[in-house]
Amino acid sequence: MIVSPPIEVLDVSLRYRVDRSNVGTIKEAAFRTLRRQQKMESIQALDGVTFSVNKGEIFGVVGPNGAGKSTLMKVIARVLPPTDGRVLVRGQVAPMIELGSGMNPELTARENIILYGALLGRDPRLIRERVSAIVEWAGVEEFVDVPTRTFSSGMMARLAFSVATDIDPEVLVVDEVLSVGDKAFRAKSQLRMNELIAGGAAVVIVSHSIPLLRELSTRALWLDHGQIKMLGAAAEVLDGYEASG
Amino acid sequence: MTAAQSTVYYDSDLRRRPLVAEFQNFWRYRGLIRLLVARDLTVRYKRSVLGVWWTILNPMLTIGVLWIVFSNIFGRGGVLDEPYVIYLTAGILLSTYFSQGVIAAGSAIVNSRNILIKMYIPPEIFSLAASVAAASHFVLSLIPLFILQLVLGQGIPWTVVLVPIPAILMLMFITGAGLLIASAAVYYRDVLDISRVVTQLLNYLIPTFWTLDFVEGTAVELIVKANPVYSYLVIFRWWVYGGDRPPNWTIAVMFGSAVVVLVLGVYVFSRNWRRVAVRL
Repeated sequence: MIVSPPIEVLDVSLRYRVDRSNVGTIKEAAFRTLRRQQKMESIQALDGVTFSVNKGEIFGVVGPNGAGKSTLMKVIARVLPPTDGRVLVRGQVAPMIELGSGMNPELTARENIILYGALLGRDPRLIRERVSAIVEWAGVEEFVDVPTRTFSSGMMARLAFSVATDIDPEVLVVDEVLSVGDKAFRAKSQLRMNELIAGGAAVVIVSHSIPLLRELSTRALWLDHGQIKMLGAAAEVLDGYEASG
Repeated sequence: MTAAQSTVYYDSDLRRRPLVAEFQNFWRYRGLIRLLVARDLTVRYKRSVLGVWWTILNPMLTIGVLWIVFSNIFGRGGVLDEPYVIYLTAGILLSTYFSQGVIAAGSAIVNSRNILIKMYIPPEIFSLAASVAAASHFVLSLIPLFILQLVLGQGIPWTVVLVPIPAILMLMFITGAGLLIASAAVYYRDVLDISRVVTQLLNYLIPTFWTLDFVEGTAVELIVKANPVYSYLVIFRWWVYGGDRPPNWTIAVMFGSAVVVLVLGVYVFSRNWRRVAVRL
């Protein structure tokens, strides 16, 4: 049986137009249009990117700032629709991109867990049953019915991570989340990630930490100016990227 | 579990079917909508010492001031059968529902920017949730109106069971108008400010604290009646406390405008959402 890869990115391009004249209001836009001053500039964030990620594979993405790494993550996470090309994602996606957005400090930990879980696409009824397991992992059991505005940033990070990883996703999209928290938390979250990966998820991970990617990933992609500079075995690609300085 | 998860599937080539996709999303994401509404209500009430009472007190203070100022002008005998304060309260409550609802639905997507740029959720969900929250506030704010009706001897007529009709149609109206504003607000920052001014103008153009006899027979009367919110208001007054029976065309305008504005708003948003996603 041929198993289709969980992530297929086929000749994907993403362009958007930015108004360089920085028109932010209707009033300004009306004046500029009258004077024909609108300067639209097209930005090519991704340019003909093709790759696929198989089950159980950890796919590292490297590149300088502005190379399109985060844009690529957002295209896979369905946040940005590609201008050209096609993206296919088979299975439940867990987007681990700047965790915790959507959590509200006025709500209790329990309310935030349910809301954040639902924002991540999970059934509120199922999350309700998981609340105790989630707070236990995050180490905030005593504060489950306390508004999270009293939480430290470390507690918030642990809580968000705990909610986001409380599933067995088929596709995991990770954007620098492993760099948050103290040493103990990083070790603990690393362990959790390993569990998810061992569960057979296809993982795409963006990081500026080459040692981390060397340790984790099996294959890698080097992105530059939205284009593929190199694609292949992790060691080779990372060597090439490091050599480029 | 695994089988169910495998059905979760994203293909960027599958285009959203305009209109159909949005209404399907409203249904599919009803659990999330409920949570977002609950969040809005909890946050608003937790932030103030008075909690839920603030929702009731806030319009009452506005109404109190307007009542003191205008009761001698508009509350004179002959024009109104009902006590002026009841006429005024019903007017303010409905127009507040309209203006706050439109602005909340219109700003919901931009306000949820930091969520929408990180995980996939159909943005229209946030507009609908904001409208439902506004409708909840409206329902709560009816309590003081009912109290006034009982205290001042106006009573609560049986037609009060029909009040959900204008409330739900207004919910459709503000969701549609909100999505129209939201489609534009991602492009230009001042769309929301302009919308605030426009909804405020529309509110002054309906007889909330003033009575229609002041403009009778003038061109202004036509402008007032052409405003769809006018139809909601007169029907609301008729059903909630037994105000004057409005002409039948207002019922047609109320139903028609709710459907037209909702469909138009969803359609325009649907056509633009790809660009909206990139511009956020």
